[in-house]
Amino acid sequence: MCPIKKPVSEFAIQCENLVKVYRPRRRAPVRAVDGLSFAVAPGSIFALLGPNGAGKTTTLKVLTTLLLPTTGRASVLGHDVAKQPLDVRRRISAVIQETAVDMFLSVRDNLLTFARFHGFSLAAARSRASEVMEQFHLTAEAERKVMDLSGGYRRRVQVAKVFMVDTPVVFMDEFSTGMDPILKRAVMSMLRAEASRGRTIVLTTQVLSEAEELCDDILIMNKGRQVARGDLHALKLLSRDVYEVSMTFERLPCEIEGELQRLDPVRLHVNQNTIELAVRAEEPHVLELVGELAKKGRVLHVEIKGASLEDIFVELLKEDAHSN
Amino acid sequence: MMAVHAMLFREAKIRTTNFTFLFWDLCYPLGYLLVFSVGINDAVASPLSAEGVDYQSFFLGGVLGMASFGIAANTAWGFFMDRDNGIFYEMLTYPMSRAQYLGAKVFFNVLVAVVQALLTVLLAWLLLGVSIRWERFPLLLLTVVLGTAGWFYFYSIFALRIRRNDIFNSLTSVFYFVFLFASSMFYPIEPLPAFFRSVALVNPITWHVDVLRFSTIALGIPSNIALEAGAFVLFALASFACAMHYLQHQE
Repeated sequence: MCPIKKPVSEFAIQCENLVKVYRPRRRAPVRAVDGLSFAVAPGSIFALLGPNGAGKTTTLKVLTTLLLPTTGRASVLGHDVAKQPLDVRRRISAVIQETAVDMFLSVRDNLLTFARFHGFSLAAARSRASEVMEQFHLTAEAERKVMDLSGGYRRRVQVAKVFMVDTPVVFMDEFSTGMDPILKRAVMSMLRAEASRGRTIVLTTQVLSEAEELCDDILIMNKGRQVARGDLHALKLLSRDVYEVSMTFERLPCEIEGELQRLDPVRLHVNQNTIELAVRAEEPHVLELVGELAKKGRVLHVEIKGASLEDIFVELLKEDAHSN
Repeated sequence: MMAVHAMLFREAKIRTTNFTFLFWDLCYPLGYLLVFSVGINDAVASPLSAEGVDYQSFFLGGVLGMASFGIAANTAWGFFMDRDNGIFYEMLTYPMSRAQYLGAKVFFNVLVAVVQALLTVLLAWLLLGVSIRWERFPLLLLTVVLGTAGWFYFYSIFALRIRRNDIFNSLTSVFYFVFLFASSMFYPIEPLPAFFRSVALVNPITWHVDVLRFSTIALGIPSNIALEAGAFVLFALASFACAMHYLQHQE
């Protein structure tokens, strides 16, 4: 496929002080997005991260014209989502959180229908569908109705649809849910290839390693607001004193878990004879701690590394909770 | 037009891979006409002598109205199916306006309703000897198209507003009972008790069925029929506007 045409706007996506308030009947209003502002560069892979209820899906719904913002402004390739929704829809394709497929149609017909809605002729759609089914290992299932497929295959059909078309912006809400690891890797590399062609990919995920591996630009949000923003390196600077320590003992020393808890770690996980902890401390103290722990039993393996995105995420959310 | 083509493609694919569904849609009014109207006609010995027509002829307009009403209800119920499959929200991100979405959604089913009406009228003429006014056939087609679309938009208001399938099904059952029986679908409304007659007169089913009856067997006073046709068009437009409102405010 050819490179994507240069967009009219400097940014692929822009949100300015975006607010979305849900007003459920007989319940208090919910401020799902609360003054969010950000811009996404064309051709980048941008992730919205946050815990459940952070407002990620609501933000995506506003950007895909499924919801109108309560106040503020959002635009896709310079087109206002509230005032020019059709112009926005012509430039996007979306994988929403639920598995969105036509159960009564075959795999091939699902892909053809999607392409037809995006203006493909039947012949062009057929030829593209064959390529995409090959990429997603769906060729053997092409004529089977989706209702007869497993949940994982249904998700595969749904994600395959956005590769049928060439829209400059792609939205993916937790795209890897229900996908096997091999396919997930393949899709991630396809997404990278699409971004290098100039397509802008916006995704939400709760699998932080996915964002860590895939995204150029990450926005962490909580309770509808931005908590942090930047590429992985910039975010790691926010937690430069957080270290991850993994130690495997021949036999796990007694009461070690309790002792480690007293250090107030960012994260602690004990699995059989291995401890994994993330601590906030300066480097010499971390080495000291490892030395102390090593005295408690025979150590088979030690690994010390900087904070992962997960540690940063947990830290930032803790800080956000304290500041509120 | 792209959205209409794509939706036609989708609906046709769904229907043509399910022949039972398609057969039922096309032939059910005919079955109703053959079984119910012939039975009533013979058992009650043409209770409509005052109208100067037999029951089979009288009921033809009713059964066409019932078919439009049924197709519209089934099409609107499709919103629940699409919502359950998650495709409903995804489709709302496709490159079409909300009005195009609603229009395209009913387009294929309007075509089914037209084919169904053709089959029913043709076989009523051939098998039951109903005296059809063929010169009014274009009016009949227009009435079927507007009727099916109007009832679809009416049902869409509820299908888009209500989230629970079971509540929608209960509501459609009530609609079937109230709208169909408090109307001119099964019997003329003149001999009915005053209250019942008043309800039937403001029932859009009566307006729709009367126009269908006028366009098939020329029953009715033209000035009254024109008034009823106008009222039905207003009803359809109001339903469309209301359905659009709820579609634009899906959360």
